[in-house]
Amino acid sequence: MAYLLNTHEDQQAMLEAIGAASIDELFASIPKELRLQGQLDLPPALTELELAAHLKERADQNASAVNATCFLGGGSYDHFIPAVVDAIASRGEFFTSYTPYQPEASQGNLQALFEYQTLITQLTGMDVANASHYDGATAAAEAVIMALAATGRKGRVLTAGSVHPEYRQVVATYLEHLDAELETLDTPSGALDAKALAGTIDRDTACVLVQHPNFFGCLEDVEALTAAAHDVGALMILVFDPLSLGLLKRPGDLGVDIAVAEGQSLGNAMAYGGPYLGILACRESLVRKMPGRLAGETVDRRGNRCFVLTLQTREQHIRREKATSNICTNQGLLALRAAIYLALVGPQGLREVATLCVQKTAYAAQRITAAARFTRAFDRPVFKEFVVRDRDGRVSELIQESASQGVLAGVPLAGWFDDLSDCFLVAVTEKRTRDEIDGLAKCLASANTEVSTTHA
Amino acid sequence: MRDARSTQLLFELSQAGRRATTFPTCDVPERLLDELMPVAARADAPPPLPELAEPDIVRHYTNLSTLNMSVDTHFYPLGSCTMKYNPKRNEQLAALPGLAQVHPYQPAATVQGLLGVLHDLGEMLAEIAGLDAVSLQPAAGAQGELTALLMAAAYFRDRGEERTTVLVPDSAHGTNPATATMAGFRAVTLGSTPQGWVDLDDLAAKLDDRVAVLMITNPNTLGLFDPQIVEIAERVHARGGLVYLDGANMNAILGITRPGDMGADMMHFNPHKTFSGPHGGGGPGAGPIAVREHLEPYLPTPVIRWHEGRYDLVNDRPKSIGRVRSFMGNVGVLVRAYAYIRTHGAEGLRNVSENAVLNANYLLSRVKHILPVPHGDRCMHEFVASASKLKSDRGLTAMDVAKRLLDYGYHAPTTYFPLVVREALMIEPTETESKETLDGFAAALFRITDEPAELVHEASHSTSISRPDEVRAARKPVMRWRDESAAEE
Repeated sequence: MAYLLNTHEDQQAMLEAIGAASIDELFASIPKELRLQGQLDLPPALTELELAAHLKERADQNASAVNATCFLGGGSYDHFIPAVVDAIASRGEFFTSYTPYQPEASQGNLQALFEYQTLITQLTGMDVANASHYDGATAAAEAVIMALAATGRKGRVLTAGSVHPEYRQVVATYLEHLDAELETLDTPSGALDAKALAGTIDRDTACVLVQHPNFFGCLEDVEALTAAAHDVGALMILVFDPLSLGLLKRPGDLGVDIAVAEGQSLGNAMAYGGPYLGILACRESLVRKMPGRLAGETVDRRGNRCFVLTLQTREQHIRREKATSNICTNQGLLALRAAIYLALVGPQGLREVATLCVQKTAYAAQRITAAARFTRAFDRPVFKEFVVRDRDGRVSELIQESASQGVLAGVPLAGWFDDLSDCFLVAVTEKRTRDEIDGLAKCLASANTEVSTTHA
Repeated sequence: MRDARSTQLLFELSQAGRRATTFPTCDVPERLLDELMPVAARADAPPPLPELAEPDIVRHYTNLSTLNMSVDTHFYPLGSCTMKYNPKRNEQLAALPGLAQVHPYQPAATVQGLLGVLHDLGEMLAEIAGLDAVSLQPAAGAQGELTALLMAAAYFRDRGEERTTVLVPDSAHGTNPATATMAGFRAVTLGSTPQGWVDLDDLAAKLDDRVAVLMITNPNTLGLFDPQIVEIAERVHARGGLVYLDGANMNAILGITRPGDMGADMMHFNPHKTFSGPHGGGGPGAGPIAVREHLEPYLPTPVIRWHEGRYDLVNDRPKSIGRVRSFMGNVGVLVRAYAYIRTHGAEGLRNVSENAVLNANYLLSRVKHILPVPHGDRCMHEFVASASKLKSDRGLTAMDVAKRLLDYGYHAPTTYFPLVVREALMIEPTETESKETLDGFAAALFRITDEPAELVHEASHSTSISRPDEVRAARKPVMRWRDESAAEE
């Protein structure tokens, strides 16, 4: 009865008002043969005290960024989250409200979304941002669908092989039964060659999907790739890293048409992969093809500035089968957290955090490759992660051995890239200290992976 | 009492030189940036974000929060959204470092506790669904729908059957037909009977060998259980199609009946509704799906397996539709759902639905004399009242009533949905409200119908804004703040 208010007396009084003899009678419309005989087979109920003990026990079985040192990346990162983010986002007025269908009762959420959209346009240099998507991968998939609709081309979708493999998988899943073919362009040198793109792209191509910095941490030549796309009237979709824009040119300044990102690094917990924040921004001309909620400014009857959900004729609850997407509930709370984060760090903080990532990553790369066993797989500038090749080719043992010493050393690439089966991806955020980086290098260099290994 | 600055935008509060978060000095030997990052790739200046101090930011957002109605502060009978109380314990537990500060690519050996939670949640959801296998990956109900329809498409392709249409009742959520299109199907609308059930004649006319899936919400969006469900499912199965159950309304039937027992082959849950994951001002949700055994091979990868005394993630599944999202799904929402189900147990969940249905029927009995409920005197967990008589008698619309309720301190019901009821007010009280609250709400409705029409037309009066000009917002969309003082770009 944890959260119920009705007493037995209340129930009786209510049944009397209804004119029903029992609660059971209220379910009379459910045919008898469908009624569950007996109870669901579920574990017994727990009090708060028992539940807390139970979940703490299960939580304690996991390594975390608190009791281990995390050098894992690949789309989720152990970045610093200022206390204000949790303090504000845990206010019940934000986290127990819902989609602002009644603007008069939701100006807090609507203004926060309008500010989020503005912050994303400032961050990216794009014209418009929506109020959020599920995650970076689905934002990429929806961007591809936008591009198909905007160009009217039912043909090719080109993606660089250096785009996050899970993003490419999600795009492939979304396109499986639509009139479009996803083609992956290999990136053996760690980035997409603009000449190779120009050599294959044609007027049947709706869009090109590129990530910068890419999955391997390397920079792409986005301007040249965008020029190649635009030469044939295709759109450029760029997956960007929000924190990299403290240093790198913004997607809008690089000429891309749709910019998408994973917004986890903007004040959101790693939480084993979600909930995360899909960022989706585009040129003004594409706004009516955009999926998802959009907050807009208007005035009320007294002429005061206020905010509403707008351009809803794109959306499923109005347009049904003709909507730009089926998305309904998205990631409002995570967008709020991202907005608070961006407000807290500001332009200078963003530059600082980006610079720390670059410097610490460079230091880590130098320290790790000081051991002859390890080399960089790609000799290219990187932002906050890089690919390490293990000459001994014993990556999985290396990762396990490090984990047993409290170091989450990297993400093995074997499952995604055949030619990188002896490689792993190391990410270094602003949170990692020199001691921790030295510890990682030492742990890797001294790892004994020759003999049979312990299971962490 | 309101601070006039409280609705200024972050950008209007910005002052050059202010800042909040600073980062530590670099503790590794620094190299020239030009060596690490080519000048051509770099921006001259960081993005033009606002410059604010921490106290400013806290006051800004705290003031903004007071402009929202929420479950913590108000009765929120927003039909179809199940705005129930969100337990504080779940927030605290989901934030445990061993659950919240875990990276998705950690070796499975280092996340056995979390994988155990997810695995067990899957088993519990399968039991509640009366189905065989679960994927926790979809990020929201709508994505659960898409996942299931993509699985259906793969299933029929495997069987060499060309099926191109999806049947959707006219009372369905917009996500159903929109999903059908996204999955490459053609959505065909089914009519309803005057009682609000699926029109079996229309079904007979439209059900053929091209139908891949019938999507049905049961209880439906009118808050009615369609007792024809078994016959509907049998007819669809007889033509080789699949039945998808939209689980938006599971709050009515936990432990009472199960979608699998009704004949559904696939369904999604909305844990942010049924299992109280907070709605977050518009998400995050989650959309785990449950399916019958013959569809299990098509589930998205990875799936969690208990094997030889440990949990692991299985990616090698040749018939899988692949991924629908990065990583494992909205784990934080799923952990809260786990905590909720473990708090209740079987009897507790049944009590949830019994009281949700009791509260809805009680409120219906109080309201029907004021606002007719066209589809009958009984309902499940929600009901749809109509203001059409009020409109013809006094010129008051459902929207007028909704706005005026805000003045009485109640969030408005869902308006103008489902589309099959004119001047619809869709009311879902949930089980976490008291008789006194429901009485107060009914009394407010009663008073509103009696108030001068002008007063109600102009409502709301006590909120921070009066009615917004939505037409202007759509005609001249302003979707970002622009610096009027600077010549940007």
